[in-house]
Amino acid sequence: MRTYQDLREFLAVLEQQGQLLRITDEVSLEPDLGAAACALGQLGEASPAIQFSNIAGYRNARVVLNVHGSWPNHALALGMDRDSPPRDQFHRFVDGYTQYPGEFRRVKDAPWQEIVVEDDVNLYDLMPLFRLNRGDGGHFLDKACAVSRDPDDPDNDNVENVGIYRLQVKGPNRLGILAVPQHDIAIHLAHAERRGEDLPVAIALGTDPIVTLMGATPMLYDQLEYRMAGALQGEPYQVVSTENGLDVPWGSEYVLEGRMLAGQRELEGPFGEFPGYYSGCHRYPVIEIDRVSHRKDPIYDAVYVGRPWTEIDYLQAMTTSAPIYAQVSADFPEVSAVNALYTHGLVVVVSTKTRYGGFAKAVGLRVLATRHGLGYAKVVIVVDDNVDPFDLKQVMWAISVKVNPDRDVMILPNLSINPLDPAGQPTGVAAKMIIDATTPIAPDLRGDYGQELDTPQRTDEWRTRLASLIKDLR
Amino acid sequence: MSDPDLDLTARMCPRCGATTIDTRATSPVAGVWILFACSTCLYVWRSTEPEENRDPDRYPTAFRLVPQDLADLPILPAIQPPRGQADGG
Repeated sequence: MRTYQDLREFLAVLEQQGQLLRITDEVSLEPDLGAAACALGQLGEASPAIQFSNIAGYRNARVVLNVHGSWPNHALALGMDRDSPPRDQFHRFVDGYTQYPGEFRRVKDAPWQEIVVEDDVNLYDLMPLFRLNRGDGGHFLDKACAVSRDPDDPDNDNVENVGIYRLQVKGPNRLGILAVPQHDIAIHLAHAERRGEDLPVAIALGTDPIVTLMGATPMLYDQLEYRMAGALQGEPYQVVSTENGLDVPWGSEYVLEGRMLAGQRELEGPFGEFPGYYSGCHRYPVIEIDRVSHRKDPIYDAVYVGRPWTEIDYLQAMTTSAPIYAQVSADFPEVSAVNALYTHGLVVVVSTKTRYGGFAKAVGLRVLATRHGLGYAKVVIVVDDNVDPFDLKQVMWAISVKVNPDRDVMILPNLSINPLDPAGQPTGVAAKMIIDATTPIAPDLRGDYGQELDTPQRTDEWRTRLASLIKDLR
Repeated sequence: MSDPDLDLTARMCPRCGATTIDTRATSPVAGVWILFACSTCLYVWRSTEPEENRDPDRYPTAFRLVPQDLADLPILPAIQPPRGQADGG
């Protein structure tokens, strides 16, 4: 696939493809940056990335938002044609994901080492920090990869972790980090605290587009995101080691090095989160930054998070769907695709062949029992193999005509759900629902499903021809 | 700092009402904005933000915090005691 060494190379391709909008008029940090990124999400599924280069109060600051925030941008990040439909992007992602492990390669030097600040680190001078939503407690780095190692197993690359966690800037060199017990970095912190040590971390901001997707993918504890990036790219992923032995992406704009402080928890939040609600406040761990390295005139990359859909929904789209598909299809090879695009998979649509009556319901149950499904899948819709689960018009057709609610809707009480789901009662527990929208087959014969319409002869041929002609029209 | 509006916003934290506030940062281009911070609830606000984010009277009720409640906020993840302590040795 087409790969990108760094964010700048990807932005150049987005621009060439008409998917990067440059704003050179002066803008305010608040509310302009958050408002513009929010508006891009409201303008449809083909919105460009946006780069601001004239920010009030800064001389040379540059901010990009919405880099992954549309299907064309997501396709280009995966090295595909910009017009690739979501279903093709899903299969492309799955093809790479199932090639794990790929390779990664350590190199010595990277452009982000050009400027190093070690004395009196002041993030407010180094980064154009801003509030996204009015109720946010402050400024957050929300699209950066935090890297840590297991202090009990420091030489094991497979348990090095790369994850995107929201980081609240709390002082010139102080960050808060949202790390709940389920997160890999929380395991590393627990091991460090048991040893009575701080946990070294490196934070990479403004990276190539693939590693951002990897940081957003729920992987197993012993799967390394860089090996997954290598698998997706089909060539070794390049990293550079810090003095503390933490590997960071070669193509980063900024690298922050510091320590998660053992035994410290501090007020954090709220932050407008992906379910479309504010997170509330908690006492979360704290990071002290000792050194900041960055490229000359660095580009600050952030993701607007708001009521769906926003850029974060693209970051959590195929990265959520692929792991569920891999687990379910291992048991049920009849499953052809999984759409877990909605609010990180609170709703999942799965398409499958059915072998006998009741089969689709078993597939739905298996989705609920995947690792991600345990905390997210709340409504599972199962459709036939000839329904594209990524095309909601087709899904709604299937629900319209294939569902008889007294036979096809199953409600399962008292199951686990992510505490961020506001519907939990109590928080963290919810009923779940499976909607079987497949055609009933023997021995579950019911309804009158005699003659389903197909398409006229040569429709596929015409579709290919017309798609090409329509593209030429542009 | 001669703008009277800026002096007003700097008197009290818009979110928790504490007076433990200081100037956190000033714009690299001088005189464009000041960033204030509250050391009680860690809220920050910029002198150029919409009023509801910097004026204590207009700060949205839903987002206000009470300083006395902050010590009771849930801790995540639980702090692990160092091995020696946990093992009683």
